[in-house]
Amino acid sequence: MIEKRRKPLRSPYKHILILGVGNLLLSDEGVGVHIAQRMMKMDLPPEVQVVEGGTDGFGLVNFITQADRMILIDAVKGGGQPGSIYRFDIDDCPPYPDLFKTSVHQISILEVINLSGLIGSIPHTTIIGIEPVCLEMGMELSPSIEKKVPKVIQMIEEEVEASLSR
Amino acid sequence: MGKRITIDPVTRIEGHLKIEVEIENGKVKDAWSSGTMARGFEALLLGKDPRDASYVTSRFCGVCYSVHQLASARALDAAFGARVPWGGTLLRNLVMGAEYIYDHMIHFYHLSALDYLDVMAVANYTGKDPALNKVKEKVVGLVKRGDVFPLVPRYEPDEFSVKDPDIVISAVKHYLDALQMQVKAKNMGAIFGGRAPHYQSIVVGGFTQYPDVNQVARFRSMLDEIAQFVNEVYIPDVVAFGTGPLLPLAQAGVGGGHLNYLSYGSFEMNQSGKQLLFKPGVIIGLNGGMAVKPFDQRKITESVHSSWYKKDTPKHPYEGEQVFDLTRSDAYSFVKSPRYGNVPMEVGPLARALVDQDPTILGLVKKQGVKPGAVARHAARAVETKKVVDAMYGWCDELTTAMTKRGFKIHDTAHWDPPATGEGVGFFEAPRGALGHWIRIKDHKIAGYQAVVPSTWNASPRDERGVRGQYEESLIGVPVPDPENPINVVRVIRSFDPCLACAVHLIDPRTNEIRKFIVE
Repeated sequence: MIEKRRKPLRSPYKHILILGVGNLLLSDEGVGVHIAQRMMKMDLPPEVQVVEGGTDGFGLVNFITQADRMILIDAVKGGGQPGSIYRFDIDDCPPYPDLFKTSVHQISILEVINLSGLIGSIPHTTIIGIEPVCLEMGMELSPSIEKKVPKVIQMIEEEVEASLSR
Repeated sequence: MGKRITIDPVTRIEGHLKIEVEIENGKVKDAWSSGTMARGFEALLLGKDPRDASYVTSRFCGVCYSVHQLASARALDAAFGARVPWGGTLLRNLVMGAEYIYDHMIHFYHLSALDYLDVMAVANYTGKDPALNKVKEKVVGLVKRGDVFPLVPRYEPDEFSVKDPDIVISAVKHYLDALQMQVKAKNMGAIFGGRAPHYQSIVVGGFTQYPDVNQVARFRSMLDEIAQFVNEVYIPDVVAFGTGPLLPLAQAGVGGGHLNYLSYGSFEMNQSGKQLLFKPGVIIGLNGGMAVKPFDQRKITESVHSSWYKKDTPKHPYEGEQVFDLTRSDAYSFVKSPRYGNVPMEVGPLARALVDQDPTILGLVKKQGVKPGAVARHAARAVETKKVVDAMYGWCDELTTAMTKRGFKIHDTAHWDPPATGEGVGFFEAPRGALGHWIRIKDHKIAGYQAVVPSTWNASPRDERGVRGQYEESLIGVPVPDPENPINVVRVIRSFDPCLACAVHLIDPRTNEIRKFIVE
């Protein structure tokens, strides 16, 4: 007997946010921004919104509360080799954001996500992070990080695809 | 020798700041303010096309990007000889007005209010209001889960803290409401700014994007909602706090400091630019009857006497340089020491209100006996938010009228190309205070660039004469009965709305646990 093919399930996600954050003036710190700027020019499914968040803090609450799925791109100091790519879910992060230091308002992107939860719901969030090589002043990525960009973009696309076909 | 305590970092501010105080007999005897993060982004601009400056400088900071963009565009306007048409000025004013609302509300509710509230008192709320009970449920739920950000970190409440559960719970509700309102304020800016964050539309010569009728209507309807919040929630809250439990702090003028005030003036109210919403001026010492003197930019110098830069004499910003020297043991900050006629200045809402002789603030001084200090800063911020909101209605009206006229212009296109040589300064009263950008152009490229930002004025270290900066001076005499709980110190510092970010935004877990998530 031929098994009846199940109808594909509809994606539970209606609004996927790709949010790249970081400081464009500090070389690899801006990797999230560089990637978001490139992805803004790509042809992506209508459910997907790409936002280049720069170093904004509270201002990002707006975008986060509107999304039900978020892929966050940022430089991450995780102790791995420079150029390492990390992928983890927000639930894998220690819940107390004091573990995460940044400088804007002393309000890190993870704290912004927490704040968003106070006035709305927090989207299912996956962080794709890149261990920086250089954090000196400069508006370009280090060559070895630049080389990783296509790989990161591919990972994001796969993440989007997986989210939409779930 | 008193007991020294160090607060590092001061939290719920923007950027990295370390405050060290020496306490004797329950009071601050001496204080040191250190910006612990190096800046010097100006170096990135050298050799670039001058028109890039307004985009690059908007990346100085994730909070105050638009004010840098505007100050930079103004410096370029001056250097290029561009004359911004009235339409362009109105659009710039409206975007900046939205910025004021956003900054001031966040500062009061999200960065400062926890200094004045015993937030845990919400658990004792016994009223029936369903909305407030929802707030109670939310906060108690967070505490139970051990997930108490953003309610921590904070110091212990003291005798000035509001503890009445009914007042506390409605303040916490307003904290949440204000979070929604700041979203609206940001969205307003983005209507004309083209995108948010880091707007694109403020450039030398004016503005890039012609507004349409729908945009103005959307902007206005959001302004209506915000105006209602400002008038019915924000201002009454500040008044209730300031004239309630905080009145003793307000009347004692805790956190007053040098009592010197500087405002560059801002927000053109007419096409000639002669009439401004905030007047420019300088007050040196309040004892001299608060005489407001005219502002002269030539009197500004920056000293590196106590800063980690190559030792040098004080320089006007046109001549300023940044060559780091981390070996200097006599330095203790990355912040330079701006002075006006060799005198340290306070900049920000209180400075603007006093220079402007604002009747509401002067009324508080006369009727309630409030003295310039931490509480007065919060009052001045709230009062000027209303002032800006009211002015924004006028600018919307003017824009609507101007848009219908033939020859409506928003940009001086004749002055788009950079001159071979030139120099210019751009001033703006940013929400946090006096902001100036100075540019020099040679061979059509940027040959020199300096930004003197509001928090540099306020947070500066000691100068050649050994005179303290305004943060430092404002801490002298502040009561600290318990050295373990220096809540008054952070109240004073936060009242200035410090922003030293300019800004790193890096996820930096202190544990190495994230390493296990390496995928490549």
